[in-house]
Amino acid sequence: MMTSFFAGLLLAYAGMAALCLGMERHFKQVWQHLPSPGQRQALRLAGWALLAGSFAACVLAWGWAMGPVGWLGQVSLGGFLLLMLLPYWPRLAVLLPVFAAPWLGLVGVIQG
Amino acid sequence: MKQTLTQSMAWLHTWGGLVFGWLLFAIFLTGTLAVFDKELDLWMRPEVPAQKVEQSQALQRALEYLQAKHPQAERWNISLPSERSPTLGVSAGNQRRGGGELLNPQTGEPLAVRETAGGGFFFRFHFTLNMPRTLGIWLVGLAAMAMLVALVSGIVIHKKIFKEFFTFRPGKGQRSWLDGHNASAVLLLPFHLMITYTGLVIFLLIYMPAAVDALYGDREAFGRALRGAPVEQQAGRGGEQGARHERAERPRAAPAPLAALGPLLAEAEQQMGPLAGLSIDHPGRSDARIEVRPILGNRIELTKGRSMLFDGVNGAVLRAPAESRPSQLTQRVMAGLHFAQFGGYPMRWLYFLCGLVSSAMIASGLVLFCVKRRRKYASEAPAARRVSHLIEALNLAAVAGLSLACIGLLWANRLLPVELAQRAAWEVNAFFAVWLLSLLHALWRPTLRGWGEQLGLSALLCMALPLLSLLTLPEPWAQPLHQALELTSLALGMALAGLAWRVYRRQEAAPPLPRRGAVMQEAL
Repeated sequence: MMTSFFAGLLLAYAGMAALCLGMERHFKQVWQHLPSPGQRQALRLAGWALLAGSFAACVLAWGWAMGPVGWLGQVSLGGFLLLMLLPYWPRLAVLLPVFAAPWLGLVGVIQG
Repeated sequence: MKQTLTQSMAWLHTWGGLVFGWLLFAIFLTGTLAVFDKELDLWMRPEVPAQKVEQSQALQRALEYLQAKHPQAERWNISLPSERSPTLGVSAGNQRRGGGELLNPQTGEPLAVRETAGGGFFFRFHFTLNMPRTLGIWLVGLAAMAMLVALVSGIVIHKKIFKEFFTFRPGKGQRSWLDGHNASAVLLLPFHLMITYTGLVIFLLIYMPAAVDALYGDREAFGRALRGAPVEQQAGRGGEQGARHERAERPRAAPAPLAALGPLLAEAEQQMGPLAGLSIDHPGRSDARIEVRPILGNRIELTKGRSMLFDGVNGAVLRAPAESRPSQLTQRVMAGLHFAQFGGYPMRWLYFLCGLVSSAMIASGLVLFCVKRRRKYASEAPAARRVSHLIEALNLAAVAGLSLACIGLLWANRLLPVELAQRAAWEVNAFFAVWLLSLLHALWRPTLRGWGEQLGLSALLCMALPLLSLLTLPEPWAQPLHQALELTSLALGMALAGLAWRVYRRQEAAPPLPRRGAVMQEAL
């Protein structure tokens, strides 16, 4: 359960980060240049796909009844964490899921 | 003058938010703490031993104790240790009367545990505000309605919900407060709406009693209708009541040994999930009945009162756990969503963090009100200035002062003498005394300095909580749940310290606001 819980959290954060980067204002805030229309499209698609992945992880962790409740919480809190990090460390904020992924693997191994 | 919709909504949001914001912050913060009520409860009873004991073993100790101390009792109640609370509680007779005892689950010896308001204080304050009868419940309901109004009016006046979904520009004064307030409100909107609405649904029948009064006449009849439910239960219930009825006329039933509880609990656990406790009617007699209760949170539905009934001699199932009817289920699922007993610790943490962000969102709205007003401060008439200052002081006491009072309650739990009479009441007194002092302090100090000092002190008390345990307990940090609580307190303290530090720096940079005393003199 812990593995899917943290996977859900990570995917929720990553999804929100991708959706955020899909907005011109924030893409520029992080990378100092404007995204191409294709990039924006791809980021938005990726964002929704990651959120869907997060939903699946929550259903795995809690089942169909509690999963959606937990998912909304994870997406909200993931978005809030991103909001708080973005103005201070923009690149770290959007790359955080990449750094966090190996830790998730560790949790998975410990939990078996 | 004709106003646009946005203008009137903005007025409603500003003033409604201010008037109810103080109350709402208190409700949200104590509600957030109440998410960990049992953990706080355990922390406030440090005499409870730390060892983990199997439920079956604890149950054996409880039975031995009750057999020795209350062999003639009509009823034994046992609450078993579980994941969230390693305590073993027993009582004889009617449970409602309370007066139970805590046992050491390993040895079966009664524990001398300090009297304390416990984590239950935050839980009760959250919906009663510590007021008599249903007064507090009505006030909290009113505040919840105001919260819904503020949420909806907030959505109407927020022009760029999607454009500014992730927008937060710190260090820009009013702009930053507005960004933070908006984004935290929008990102957690599902939580805000859910928690406020389900909170109202819990006391549905207190707030809107007309239907019950019209259909049933009185509460008693309604209660009976609620209890006597589906057909398969009737037999069990009837038998139970019949047994009670007969007792008055007939002599006591013949002695008979109690059924083996192990397999019985295993069956109950298999049907209902992890167990919280059981009661045994007429122990040691041929008409013994065993009622087993699950912990809350095996499902979203708030399953208070759900249980399984067994024959106490042959162990046969007399009544399977009841399933709620659709209308009841709807209400109970909503109540369950609010109580957050389901989904284990991960879910509990999500609720706790969401609650903290909600509290911060309300606080940021309160601060925003003052920041906006401060800009026109210089041009205000003396009377208006006094109102401004009063609002600033109330803000400070409602937000930082309450935080101080909450952590103050935990300090009072450790510092008040253990043998003090009516100790629990004194802890609560300490809570309100700290809150009152913070209000006086807020009225006395210049605004920013007041914020810095109260936040700083809260931070200090939060961060020093592990030290307090070290100084006042013989075996500090033995209980893993204590460690988790104190680490959380440390983290919250660090966050508060960060806030206090920013306020301090801001105060250095900003031109000083006139002292309240000076304004008073000016006004005179």
